[in-house]
Amino acid sequence: MKNKRLFAVLLTGVMAAGILAGCGSSSDSGSSAKDTSAAATQEATEAATEAATEAAAEAETESADTGEAGMASWKPFAENVELKVPVYDRGVEGVPDVTNNYWTKWVQSNFGDKYNITVTYVPITRSDVMSDYAMLAASDSLPTILSEFDYPKLAQWATDGYLTTFDMDEFKEVAPTFYKAMEDNDLVKYSALDGDTYFCLAQNPYYETNYNWEVFYRKDWLEKIGYDEYPTKWEDRKAMYQKLKDEGICDYPLGGQMCTGLGADQNYAFRDYPQDEETWAVYGNYTIPALGSEWNRRFLQRENEKYSLGFVDPEYYTIDTETAKANFVSGKTLEFGGYISANMDFISAFYENNPDGELAVLVSNDTVDDDGSVPFAFRSNNPFGVMSGFSSQATEDEIKAAWMYMEWLLQDDNLFTMQWGEEGENFNYDDNGLPVSVADYDGDKKQGYSNNKDYWNLVMNIRTAGTIEDVIRQNTPSDVPNAEELTQGVIDNFYAQEKLAEEGYSVKDCLYATSIEAESEYQETLINDYKEFRDKIIMAAPSDFDATYDELSKNFADDGWQEVVDERTAAYENGQTTKLD
Amino acid sequence: MGKNKEETAVQSTLPRENRRSFAKDLKRDWQLYLLLIVPIALVIVFNYASYPGLRMVFYDYKPARGWDGSKFVGLKIIQKVFHDRKFLGSLSTTLVFNLLDLALGFPMPIILALMLNELRVHWFKKVSQTVLYLPHFLSWVIVGSVAYAMFRPNTGLVNMILVNAGWIDSGIPFLTEKWHWAVTYLLIYVWQTMGWGTIIYLAAITSINGELYEAAMIDGANRWQRMTNITLPGIRGTVVTMLIMNLGKIMGSNYERLDSLQNTQVRDFSYQLAIYIYEKGLQGAKFSEATVVGLFQSVIGLIMVIIADRIAKKLGEEGLL
Repeated sequence: MKNKRLFAVLLTGVMAAGILAGCGSSSDSGSSAKDTSAAATQEATEAATEAATEAAAEAETESADTGEAGMASWKPFAENVELKVPVYDRGVEGVPDVTNNYWTKWVQSNFGDKYNITVTYVPITRSDVMSDYAMLAASDSLPTILSEFDYPKLAQWATDGYLTTFDMDEFKEVAPTFYKAMEDNDLVKYSALDGDTYFCLAQNPYYETNYNWEVFYRKDWLEKIGYDEYPTKWEDRKAMYQKLKDEGICDYPLGGQMCTGLGADQNYAFRDYPQDEETWAVYGNYTIPALGSEWNRRFLQRENEKYSLGFVDPEYYTIDTETAKANFVSGKTLEFGGYISANMDFISAFYENNPDGELAVLVSNDTVDDDGSVPFAFRSNNPFGVMSGFSSQATEDEIKAAWMYMEWLLQDDNLFTMQWGEEGENFNYDDNGLPVSVADYDGDKKQGYSNNKDYWNLVMNIRTAGTIEDVIRQNTPSDVPNAEELTQGVIDNFYAQEKLAEEGYSVKDCLYATSIEAESEYQETLINDYKEFRDKIIMAAPSDFDATYDELSKNFADDGWQEVVDERTAAYENGQTTKLD
Repeated sequence: MGKNKEETAVQSTLPRENRRSFAKDLKRDWQLYLLLIVPIALVIVFNYASYPGLRMVFYDYKPARGWDGSKFVGLKIIQKVFHDRKFLGSLSTTLVFNLLDLALGFPMPIILALMLNELRVHWFKKVSQTVLYLPHFLSWVIVGSVAYAMFRPNTGLVNMILVNAGWIDSGIPFLTEKWHWAVTYLLIYVWQTMGWGTIIYLAAITSINGELYEAAMIDGANRWQRMTNITLPGIRGTVVTMLIMNLGKIMGSNYERLDSLQNTQVRDFSYQLAIYIYEKGLQGAKFSEATVVGLFQSVIGLIMVIIADRIAKKLGEEGLL
């Protein structure tokens, strides 16, 4: 009986504690992963904290008065400061825990401990960035740094009060290397919104090309039906796709997959070059597909044709990216695109499944098609990589710690180590003295996704060592049957895209120096609308294409697109946009 | 009130040691009261502690700015939501599908419980129950994945079998054409919930006095007659209670179910309140608008429960409240 009573008390206590665990102060709440990470680093930090506190007590605010700038002027904080850094959680198998691994600890011991800063990493779901940040903001647990590749997201965070403004001169004092890099790359002009400074911008070498994203196709299939290379003009392509079907090589050469939203349906191939600047400013930005614009209509008409000719899987709208990848790997489709890296899972898997198959890279050229379209025109990246802002919920010390972190990360030695890892384990030097990653390294020092990119992208968008050809060689698979040929294809495509850029076919999207409030208001609705409408348009009978397109464009406009257009037009007319090169 | 007075009068006539006192009860059953703390804490934390947040409907609430930094806008957000074409569309779709869910999903557990009750082979009854309960334990994400694997027009297992057997020429768009989707969506719900729903009715059936059945059998009542004249009336109170509770969910909406079964071709029907709230509240970070819709759902649910309860009482049932 006594035991039963005791059991009841204990059970109740545990259950009540479980319920109330979620009711703590939001200021110290956060994911369990973060807590684990914090706990893991806490122990290492404590010892350093003690020493650092003593040093800080002596130094006090000396740094502000010495006139020194940058790392030389940094002193440890008197009180321990928690720096919360966002890191993408991509849900990719085989990568270490993003919040607690060798490299997060390496940062703590080489940076955090030195300055009495506890660096904790906040996981952000890559596919649901906005929702994650919204939840963090609502629970008063925003990371100190808020970072993203897409300018409109940062603009929305600024508008919604997630971000604080800051003084660029103060930033320059703390992080002179970072500032100089921004200045050298002409990025400072992108740091303000409506006249207030909000953003720091990472460098993005070779941004005018898209060499790090390539389309791979079945060269062996093309040879089988008598083609030496992938045709560039639409009529020729159609004939090729049809032949693949007719000869029973595949049912749906282009496969297809569901529209994923942001960045979908880029219509650069269907624009009128040289572009009209106002049209580009109002309809050219890819963050909300411009349903109703002439460029989008041409794009979707082509997609409609592909669908009606049976080149695309009729169930494409139920196929996600992983299934599309699996279809390619299992030899059901002609082509598949993806980011290049030294270890590309779908390329390796392809050769395992198709030992007689052969892949090639689809290399761009400056063909202008008979209908005036430019098949290989493309969207240039932004001149900057990740944009970072700083939390309005953070203290001054926390923001200073964030600036210190970014400056420290950009130092050559630190950046190199984060990007390449440890010599002899993660990489080795080749005969030319250039680092070469060990693709199958699986030890304790295993890097995160894409060579730790989600940590160092706050300061730099790609790994560079040597020339661009070296960079490409370092980032293409070397352990597949025709590795050299694939690498050469990527290099050829780089130069082809460079040529396209020179000819004006590499397009930088317009950026707005003012907040487009209608975008914040309607973006999600419009993107979800677009996914639905574009599929209806693509699947419409070709004879109904125009009627369907017009009807759904009207609905799209009514759902907020017209307001976006009006605000963008006003911003353009007021000179609050970037200009066409 | 009169009844309470009577009870008090009765209690006052009882010997002192028989009088109920809360302190005595507490002392005797303190373990049970201790355990009660947990559900009470749950209700307080998740159902009442969030009430102050409802004022969000009167603010253009920005989480990072907090209450002080967010602008008080009166009824503006409410008006905005109720003028939103998408909200009105999702509202009507939700209502229609919830009524259909109720019409199809509510009677099925009752019918199934009656059928299970009539099974005489014990092991078969147990196996049947287990098989029927199983879908309840599958998350909607799994149900959705399985449904697509089964029902895709060309590559779905069901369509492949039907086409290969020569019964149909081309795949039935179970999940990719909105009218077919509606039927599939409703039937999957019935399949997933009906087994688990039988538990409460089977429990109610066991409380029916067995002598009634014996008497009926002696009088020559067949199974059907026993079922309709004894079993069904015997569980009427439970049925009414469950109906009232289900009516409270008439404005509810299950995001997981919709998200796992939707695709762009059926958005006319799959765009229901849960999707609207997710799109606005989480994806668009418009917490105020999502709160307006959530509050509206709750208010309508409460009204429905009260109305149903009153009607049940007028019909002579005990009701719920």
